[in-house]
Amino acid sequence: MTLYAFYFLSFLAVMGALMVVFSRNPVTSVIFLVMTFFTIACHYMLLNAQFLAAVHVIVYAGAIMVLFLYVIMLLNLNEAVEKQKTLLLKVAAIVTGGLFMIVLSAALRTAETSYIDTSVVGSARNLGKVLLNEYLLPFEAVSLLLLAAMTGAIMLARSRKRIKPAPNVVGMTHEREQTKTVVHEQ
Amino acid sequence: MSRADIIFLLPHLMLTLGAVLVMMAIAVRRNHFAVYVLTCLTLIVALYFLPKTASLPHNVGVLFVVDGLGVFNTMIIMLAALAVALMSYAYFDTREERTGEYYMLFILATFGACIMVISGHFVSFFLGLEILSVSLYGMIAYLRKRERSDEAGIKYLILAAFSSAFLLFGMALIYAATGDMTFEGLSGYFSAFDELPILVMTGVGLVVVGAGFKLSVVPFHMWTPDVYEGAPAPVAAFISTISKGATMVLLVRFFLAIDGFRFPVVLTIFTVISIASMVVGNILALRQQNVKRILAYSSIAHFGYLLVAFIAADELGVEAVNFYLVAYFATMLGAFGVVTVLSHPERDAELLDDYRGLLWSRPALATVFVVTLLSLAGIPLTAGFVAKFYLLASGISTNQWLLVILLVVNSIVGLFYYIRIVAVMFDSAEEREARPAGYVGNFATLLILVVLLVWFGVSPQGLIDVIRNLVGVG
Repeated sequence: MTLYAFYFLSFLAVMGALMVVFSRNPVTSVIFLVMTFFTIACHYMLLNAQFLAAVHVIVYAGAIMVLFLYVIMLLNLNEAVEKQKTLLLKVAAIVTGGLFMIVLSAALRTAETSYIDTSVVGSARNLGKVLLNEYLLPFEAVSLLLLAAMTGAIMLARSRKRIKPAPNVVGMTHEREQTKTVVHEQ
Repeated sequence: MSRADIIFLLPHLMLTLGAVLVMMAIAVRRNHFAVYVLTCLTLIVALYFLPKTASLPHNVGVLFVVDGLGVFNTMIIMLAALAVALMSYAYFDTREERTGEYYMLFILATFGACIMVISGHFVSFFLGLEILSVSLYGMIAYLRKRERSDEAGIKYLILAAFSSAFLLFGMALIYAATGDMTFEGLSGYFSAFDELPILVMTGVGLVVVGAGFKLSVVPFHMWTPDVYEGAPAPVAAFISTISKGATMVLLVRFFLAIDGFRFPVVLTIFTVISIASMVVGNILALRQQNVKRILAYSSIAHFGYLLVAFIAADELGVEAVNFYLVAYFATMLGAFGVVTVLSHPERDAELLDDYRGLLWSRPALATVFVVTLLSLAGIPLTAGFVAKFYLLASGISTNQWLLVILLVVNSIVGLFYYIRIVAVMFDSAEEREARPAGYVGNFATLLILVVLLVWFGVSPQGLIDVIRNLVGVG
């Protein structure tokens, strides 16, 4: 039963991922991406990682996809903008992608993976225990990562307008005089 | 976490505290000088709390290994960060930008690098790398009014995210095969094989791709010149030294743990990368007219050289890597320091023309630049020479003749473009506009760096002893 569910979900995930690449309309792509994320979340469920599945849906399918949709709609992409890829670039992309696929499929076909009993990992309870005992330091370090990301984002998102330095009063009055003269001339 | 663990991680905790304090200081009142002093104090306090050598090594859980290699490089990174901070003050003080956030990102980036050099686990490896990269996105694009800063920031953002994906996938594959993410555990797993299973090999390859991006070695070097050109000069100094050095130390630790060079395929990969970096870096540098781009290509070539000692991977090799990093840090910081001092508020001093006749208009600064360029070229009596000599010694002791010969040939090619900058500085002076007065911190930093470069070049034994005592691997 689980095996059939796995194959079904994998089929959907791969089809969704392919449709993301092949669909012409960016918004359709994004919708398929949402489908892919959901199927991957279901995979987590199969692995007994309910917490991870929930977080995956909330963060990826929720927050990030909404962001994607906004960006795409704001950018107003149409087909005229898109045609920049030369033939050489396409061939190179296909060759490198194909090589990578061959290597990966060869690696995974014969792979012996080490098995982990899924009943002791995955659930929110176990995850919390591991996260706040064994991996407490990295857990705290992640907060610094988020702090850096937040600071950087706020810093970059502020307007490009000329920002006057606070202590430099002389420069400010000078500039103000300049604007006054401009107004006067008009 | 025991009390001992906290004591061993005090430098890192101090950096964290510093970042939070800077954030609060900005919230209370935006004062460039206060924030700058706070940043320097943070670094000095963190340096003060570095663990004593007698108590090493100490493992903090499975995640961090505070050993000689880690402590030595934490020290180097913090000293380099101090130098960059001193440069940054002068640089940002003349520009009308908000300055507070820069120092916050700066401390966090330093923290990320310090985490990387002591990590003994994939989780801490990846977290350190990400904290470093994410902080750098903001720092690179910091000067919002400049044209190319956005381009540089976006380029770094996309490529760093892309390479992180490779790195993470590689880690996942290794974990899938071994069920272990600690370097210690992996060491046991790898020693059981004479030949790598293909799954693990793919994983290691992907990790090399991710790390190679950070090191900007040749197939992954495309971003380097553009980012160096677009980023503010002190940030370029940070990327070329701290970010690369931390990644290198991490790679040394990882490949020593898994004894990676036992496997011919790993050896081949790194040999090819090393040769490609040396050759491509030097050849592309020859035609550049932009000093920041020349330094970028030069740093690519230098990491090609450095990989020669990395491939040796014995005791001498690790010593050579550490010595080379110290010499390279001092040299690059000196070179970018000069670029920083000469920069105008509107643009950085990046064209060769900006340096025409420098020797006559500002002889002291020109002397500093000449010394750093000669050290980059590896001329005797500078630290660069001793460092390169060390690399050659470790290469010869492991019989990598091809790499050694290419290293020598490329050093000669490299000489050309370094000397070209020197020649431009010797040109007759023309009328130039008065430059803004300098800052004491800047000149003190440059002076110390030059003294170090010459000192390590003339009598390197002191530094070699320190490295040998601390880093000596079994």
